[in-house]
Amino acid sequence: MALDLIFTGVGGQGVVVLSDIFCEAAMLDGFDVAKAEIHGMAQRGGSISAHVRVGDKVLSPLIETGKADLIIGFEILETARSLSMLRPKGTVLVNTKYIPPNSITQGNAKPVKPEELLALIRSYARRVHEVDGIGIAQKLGNLLVVNTVLLGAVSALPENPVKQDSFKQAITSRLKEKYVTLNLEAFELGRQSVSLS
Amino acid sequence: MASKLAINKPGSFMLLNGDEAVARGAIESGIKVAAAYPGTPSTEILEAIAEVAKPLGIYAEWSVNEIVAVEVAAGASMTGVRSIVSMKHVGLNVAADAAMTLAYTGVVGGLVIVVCDDPAMHSSQNEQDSRYFAVHSNIPLLDAGSPQEAYDMTREAFEISEKLSLPVIVRLTTRVAHSKARVKIGEFLKLTRKAEFDKDQSKWVMVPLNAMRQHHVLKSRLAEAEKIANKSNYNVFENNHKKIGIIGSGVGYYYAKSLLSSKKFSWLKLGFMYPFPYELVRQFASKLEKIIVVEELRPYIEENLRGLDVEILGKKELQLDEIGEFNPDLLREAFSKIGLCDKLPSRNIDLTLPPRPPVLCPGCPHRAFYYALNTVNQFVQCNPQKCISCDICELECSWEKEQVFNPYKSRIRAVRLDPLSNMALSCRLCKDAPCVTACPKEALSQLSTTGVIHVEESKCDGCGWCITACKYGAVTLHPQTRKAIVCDTCEGKPKCVETCPEGALSFSGRTEDKIVTGDIGCYTLGYLQPLNSVQTCLCMGAGISQAAGMFHAGVKEKVFAVIGDSTFFHGGMPGLLNITYNKADVCVVILDNRVVAMTGHQPTPGSGKNAMGEDAKIMKLDEICRSLGVEKVKNIDPYDVDGTRKVLQEILDYDGPSVVISERPCPLKIPKNSAREVTEKCNSCGICVTAFGCPAISLKSERAEIDVTLCWGCGVCQALCPFNAIRSIE
Repeated sequence: MALDLIFTGVGGQGVVVLSDIFCEAAMLDGFDVAKAEIHGMAQRGGSISAHVRVGDKVLSPLIETGKADLIIGFEILETARSLSMLRPKGTVLVNTKYIPPNSITQGNAKPVKPEELLALIRSYARRVHEVDGIGIAQKLGNLLVVNTVLLGAVSALPENPVKQDSFKQAITSRLKEKYVTLNLEAFELGRQSVSLS
Repeated sequence: MASKLAINKPGSFMLLNGDEAVARGAIESGIKVAAAYPGTPSTEILEAIAEVAKPLGIYAEWSVNEIVAVEVAAGASMTGVRSIVSMKHVGLNVAADAAMTLAYTGVVGGLVIVVCDDPAMHSSQNEQDSRYFAVHSNIPLLDAGSPQEAYDMTREAFEISEKLSLPVIVRLTTRVAHSKARVKIGEFLKLTRKAEFDKDQSKWVMVPLNAMRQHHVLKSRLAEAEKIANKSNYNVFENNHKKIGIIGSGVGYYYAKSLLSSKKFSWLKLGFMYPFPYELVRQFASKLEKIIVVEELRPYIEENLRGLDVEILGKKELQLDEIGEFNPDLLREAFSKIGLCDKLPSRNIDLTLPPRPPVLCPGCPHRAFYYALNTVNQFVQCNPQKCISCDICELECSWEKEQVFNPYKSRIRAVRLDPLSNMALSCRLCKDAPCVTACPKEALSQLSTTGVIHVEESKCDGCGWCITACKYGAVTLHPQTRKAIVCDTCEGKPKCVETCPEGALSFSGRTEDKIVTGDIGCYTLGYLQPLNSVQTCLCMGAGISQAAGMFHAGVKEKVFAVIGDSTFFHGGMPGLLNITYNKADVCVVILDNRVVAMTGHQPTPGSGKNAMGEDAKIMKLDEICRSLGVEKVKNIDPYDVDGTRKVLQEILDYDGPSVVISERPCPLKIPKNSAREVTEKCNSCGICVTAFGCPAISLKSERAEIDVTLCWGCGVCQALCPFNAIRSIE
């Protein structure tokens, strides 16, 4: 078994933390893991992505272009940006949130429409799961659980080799006790948001 | 999860990045003292140690800079206990003076220097190869290629250090330091050493006589070190009896192993890198025809293979750069060129997308300060490419000032420059305004706060000398009163700018009267659009002294040196003392957010906390600056843009060294304030986006829009909006 995933989004969205939890859960199931991430110049606002490799034995942390099995995108533009990493029959799970980059807001780049980006993603990937993470988080009354919603969604994908309980255990061991129930609920709603028809 | 590194479960696995793995290795090795200065990608080493320091009886500190950190670790080691010091590659330059001679004195307790190189400069100003620092300083170096190796090598480095009585460098690169992997951990060594310093040792006193002897000692220790390198577990030999061998180091070796089928080649992974294990390499090469060298940055291994009777395929032959970092794509390309593996088919879909460069965060006080700096001395400026000479500005001005529509009573003039371009002219608020000097009746004066020209009508006799003196044609005579009239900027909110239908007019600051030198920190991002405030960035603390150099060279502009609080403590204080001592007319601006923000919010000497979370004395920047000889020290609140501008204006007119301390905590350290929203008053002038550049604001066709999930509620946009179109969401 081997699975290569890209987690991508905008700095501050929680890409690093979520990919950490994924790795911890995979380790609970006995997998070897390696993960690369880049902490850039700024705390917030730049492109960020993490490469996660899960398998029986993983030698190095970076995934080759065109070889990722799964992209987990926290933001539409960043998801589109990482499409070249995806293998031809790969899957994308995307949080349908668009954050315009400063190159567009400053007028240095031509504006793009989120719908166009989604269309690009659909044309590129074999399968695309769109999750309204913010909408679901709002229902739970806390925008900070978007990540856990996404993790729940990832856990429901057929590509995912990690047991549901391991995810829950990883979430529980990482969070303060008072946030655990809320996050497990978010995880569950995330799972349900993925339709596998 | 807070203190997983304190868990004593030998043989179990932990998910650790390279830095945390080093920390765990050091903790297990029984360190007593750990010191560091934050720097990506090395920061998490001390952070991880500090988190568990107290219960484990370790002392951990954020030193004020890297050389201090090395000296602290050296002092501890001299008493016989184990110590570790960590830094990024450029930090090793700062620490070089101590490290070089430390190799001569040697150590007693194991001392490990961890250095994290940053190939590809993900967050650095250069890409040094610290393996050459080892050669330069004669300090043995272990080079890690994975978090597991980082852990193992740190443990080993303490043993080697004590065996050789030398400091040992453990080198990581960004892809090791910031990669996480499953790391198998070991058990805590139980060291029961007491700190005791042997005062009678001449080896600690590096006067020439002793130093000469110690240099010989060092060379003999290195010979010993080379023997260890030849037998090291980190120089792993995998002889598959093939004609082609691959020698590699760091993470690049593992990329190569993933790409190429193991069985077809013989492999040598070099980890104990300096002294170079010549004996081992000769043995490896003896039955080979070709050796392929895979190493990032400089060709260190390759240079050491010269003289072997075997064909070497290195940087040149593989067309691999000495610049940037390796990745599997790059190595596949290189290997495919010499027929070692296949290229991957590529998919031809255009994925050109708008970039997302790093930005200052929403609510960042640095942005507010730069905006104020950019807009000191604002005057009405006209873009001739947009101006159509419609004269509406003249009508607006006369209406605003005298409630009539009469261009002759306007303080702004639309003129035709040539048949194709037009321009509107108004007062430029010159420094030492010639109109004021020219007036024989002393009727004209200039306000020190805004630079606006004031006409005392009772004194003006309409002689017109001011009109001749103004080379911009900005002063005119009132057609009826015959007194001089000139733009007063409508108290900082000029009506002409608001009404210009072409968007040709703007109320902007003067850039030609100042130079802004920058430094290392989040605030370096003030270089980027739309602020474009900062013009230099060299190394920690350099901005201040570069500014002094420019002044002494004789530039006509006022030079501002912008530096963060932590960088000031690190390397700025000697520069400031140098400025006051050598009388440089420079303004040093300290952006004080009470934290090392860029590396993840480590405390500074101004924070009131130390690395282990204990209360610490708060070092006051204004007191430090005064004691360094600065007479003019001003504290400002950068969120108060008007107030900041007034102070900066004052500084522009001040001769002599000065300091402005801009005080606001990093917003990421404080709770969000209530978000702002844009009302229907917005006419999309775009100042909040194109001049201020807050990433939470974007311009839609009708008006600006604020993303409430991004807005930090600092309210600066609200204060600077010329149309009062931004309000707080209640």
